[in-house]
Order: sequence, then C-alpha cells, then structure tokens
Amino acid sequence: MKRTVLAVAILCLFLTGCVKEEPVPPEVSLAEKQEFNLWRAGAPLYLKEPFSRYREALLKSKGDLARVNAQFRWFRNYKSIQAEFAQVIKEGDELFKQLEIEKQKRASMVLEQMKSLRENHYRLEKMTLVIHLGQLSRSYLARAEVALNEVQTLYKGEQYPASEEKLKEAEAYLAKAETAIAPVLNRYKDTSQIAKWKRWATETIEESREKDTYCILIVKANKKLLLYKDGSLSKSYPVGLGHNGWSDKLRAKDNATPEGKYRIIRKNPASRYHRALLINYPNDEDWREFYRAKKRGLLPETAGIGGSIEIHGGGDEGLTYGCISLDNNQLEELYHVVDVGTPVTIVGAVDERNSLSSAGTATPSKRGK
Amino acid sequence: MKKVRLVLVGLVVLAFLVGCASKPTKEIEDTTAAVKAVIAEGLDKYAPEDAKKLNDALAAIDAELKVQDGKTFKSFDKTKQMLADLSKMAAEMKAALPAKKEAAKQAAVAAVEAAKAAAEEAKKLLAKAPKGKGTAADIEALKGDVKGVDDALVEVQGLIDKEDYAAAVTKANAVKEKAAAVAAQVTQALEKQKAGKKK
Repeated sequence: MKRTVLAVAILCLFLTGCVKEEPVPPEVSLAEKQEFNLWRAGAPLYLKEPFSRYREALLKSKGDLARVNAQFRWFRNYKSIQAEFAQVIKEGDELFKQLEIEKQKRASMVLEQMKSLRENHYRLEKMTLVIHLGQLSRSYLARAEVALNEVQTLYKGEQYPASEEKLKEAEAYLAKAETAIAPVLNRYKDTSQIAKWKRWATETIEESREKDTYCILIVKANKKLLLYKDGSLSKSYPVGLGHNGWSDKLRAKDNATPEGKYRIIRKNPASRYHRALLINYPNDEDWREFYRAKKRGLLPETAGIGGSIEIHGGGDEGLTYGCISLDNNQLEELYHVVDVGTPVTIVGAVDERNSLSSAGTATPSKRGK
Repeated sequence: MKKVRLVLVGLVVLAFLVGCASKPTKEIEDTTAAVKAVIAEGLDKYAPEDAKKLNDALAAIDAELKVQDGKTFKSFDKTKQMLADLSKMAAEMKAALPAKKEAAKQAAVAAVEAAKAAAEEAKKLLAKAPKGKGTAADIEALKGDVKGVDDALVEVQGLIDKEDYAAAVTKANAVKEKAAAVAAQVTQALEKQKAGKKK
C-alpha cells in the first residue's frame, strides 16, 4: 500500500511541478519587437515585397510556436522554434540594412530632384521678371513653389514617397509655366528671327548714314532706345515696354510692342505722358500679318489691329499697353532732336546671346534658399 | 448491458469534449467587424500604431485558430480570451478616436487660418503698392503669385473636407511660407519705389 502511495505521489510530482518547464525562447519577443520597428521605420512603404515575405515567415513561426505551446508542457520543445525565430530575426536584420540603403537612395533622389526643380523654378521666375509675362505663368510658378515647400517639409520628416508625389506636382506646374513662357522666349533664341532683326537694324543705320539723318533703333532684349546720327550711335536711353512687350504686336489690346520698320508720323507736345512721338503702326507688313493670322483662325473675327503706338514719357520702368516709354527728361531731349519722318525700327534682339536667350543660365545661389 | 453502458458513457464524454470545443464563430465575426469598423473610421490615419496593434492581434488569433483546427481535442478558451481582449481594445480605441480626429482637424484648421491670414496680409500690401515707376512690373508679377496662393488655399480646404488633415497642415504651411515671401517681395518693391522717389 505504502509503495502504491509513493508511486502515485512521484507520478503527481512529475506531472505537475517537478518537471522544469522549458521557457519560451527570447528570440520570440525579439522578433516581434523587430517586426514593429521595421513597420515603424517604413518597411511596408520602401520594401513592400521583402517585408511581406518577412511577415509571412514571422507569422508561420508564430503559428508553429502556438502549436508547441498547445502541447502538454512535458512534450514542449522549443529548439526548432528558437531556430525558426532566429532565422526570422536574421532576415529582419538584413531588411533593416536594405531599408537604410533604400531610404538613403530615395532621400538623395528627392534632394537632387528638389534642387533641380528649385533651380528650374528660379530660372523661370527670373524670366517672368525679365519679360513680364503676366499673371498666368506666375500663378503656376507660385503653385510649384508651394509644392516644393511641401517637399521640403516631407523630406525633413523622412516621408520620401510622399515627397516624390509632391515633386511630380511641382514638376507639372513648372511645365505649365514653361509652356506659357516658351513661345515668347523661343523667338529670342531663333537664329533666323535674330538674323531678320539684325537686317532691319543694319538697313536702318545704313539709311541714317546715307542720308545724314537721325534714326531710332529700339532693342527690346536690352530695353534700350538707340539714337543714331549719320550712321553712328549718338545716345542710348533705357525704355519701358508693353505688359506683353516682348511679343510682337498682332492685334489691339494684346499689350505687345510692335516689331518692324516704322517712322515718326506725328509729334505731340502735350501728351498725357509728357510728350509723345507717334509712329506709323500698323504698317503694310503689320496688316499682312494681321490678315494672315485672321485667315488661319488665330484671331477672333471681331479683333482689330490696334494703333496709337508712341514713344512717350512717363518713366523707363513703367509697363505700357504696347508703347515705348522713357524717362521724361530723356524724352524731352529726344523729342527736340528728331523730326517727323525719322525712321524708328523696333527689334527683339540684335545678338544671339541676348538677355532672354541667356535668361535660363543663372542659378539660385544668391537667393539663400 | 455493460457494453451498452460503456458506449453510452463514451458518447456522453465525446459529446462533452466536442461541445466544449466549438469554434467561437460569432465572437470571431463580431470582433473582426469591430476591428474593421474602427479602422474604417480612420484609425490607421490618426493612430497608425493602434491600427497595427489591432491587426497584429487579429493575426495572432488567426494563428491560434489554425493550431486548434489541427488538433483532435480542440480548446478555444484561449482564442475566446484573445477575442475578448481584442474587442475591448478595439472599443477603447474607437472611443478615443473622435478626440484624435478632432485634434488633427483643429491643427489643420489653425494651419489654414494662419495661411489665409498670411495671404490676406500679402494682398493688403499689394493693394497699397502704387503702380509707379520701378514697381509696375514687379507688382504685376506678384499679383500672379497671389493668385497661385489663393488657388493653393482652395486645395487646402479640399483636403480638410476630405478629412486628410495631415496633408492639409503640410500644404497650409507651404502656402503660408509662399504668402509671406510674396509679402516680403511687395515690401521690397515698395522700398525700391521709395528709393526711386528720393533720387
């Protein structure tokens, strides 16, 4: 009887407490923490596929662990589980390394693109200030700048995928601004257009030389009025142009300053802009251009060609509706020198390397951005 | 007779074992629905770490279910406990969510108000700026900038309406920065004009 009681007692002890329970390996909680840290570091964003594979492996290991935990404690063996979790941790460590590389790669790409877009933004903004292209292009540029400011914030927060989206937005706005600017700017890079302007300028100066008279050459790219006497440069005055002065005038109210060979047809001693020299815009060539544009449907049926283009006072930095404005004192000087009939030739540029063709070469180093 | 008794006892024991191990289907469905509901309400947007905790707990329950499914003598006591814990956690997170949402909304509204104030300041300065010598071109360009700022502000409001408060804050701050830059440029243009007058 005693023997039986002793045997039962030993068996009970064996079943309940005497057998030392094997602890869950520390790798289990380490792997769980690692997975959370990887998630928080952005692994699902930057390493979607590898992270998904890693999670699957972790889930499988957790399943295996649950199976072992479900066994009677004296049958539990965590050796294979420990190895499994150790393998998961190894893969996780590798993922961390990859994640760091990927993030650095994306960060440097964002930074590089942001820098390039900022430079492009600066270049375009500078152009709009040179050619006064109105509000449309500036509004696009403002939107691009807002997007770039957002990129800056997101970049600081290490949110590179979101930064990349915003870079695309900024790029799209810059492209829109560039599209608005390009038609004006391209004329100042077009060598055949510049050759034509050069020819007009040469012919006008030549005429002044041959006839021993004054002539006026207005070069839009330099914003200069050049007064020639007997074929030699006598004076140079800074001028203001139309709101859309860098374009060739085609119709009324386009605020463009015409290009072509004109003459002074009237002198107005009491203009609202001090004094004024009226030129014969539109000339025959302007009319031909106007009709050609209408025929091609580039102008509305009701559009008129415009007129009353003058060289007047009011300041050399003002924006006009298409006229050429000078400082009052300088206009006074010019007014008394020239007569009705004096040739006035207006050109975009006489040099292939003009202020507009080179407007895109500056960098934003001075802006402190 | 003995055999009949034995079979009867066996059946009772079997019925007892099987009965105890019925899968908590309703609890699973209810808990999963509760988790999905709180995530749909925006938990992953306003408290992503909480959303992950819920998803991880669901995955752990799934693993536990698989273990029990593979066993002859199933026990879902642990699963039930896990489900109860998860339901409680989801309910707590759901209760805390409106406050988090409101805080995010208030931050977005404050950011947009600051951006609007900066834009108004720029407009005020711009309206004061005389279109005189030396400033006309600059003012014209800055008007275009202000239009861009206004358009971007409309977009910020759209983000708030869509409850994308984090994006709204980022954009509003970016707009504010641009508006401040415009105001600074208007001031600069005015100073340029003043300097021109003194000449």
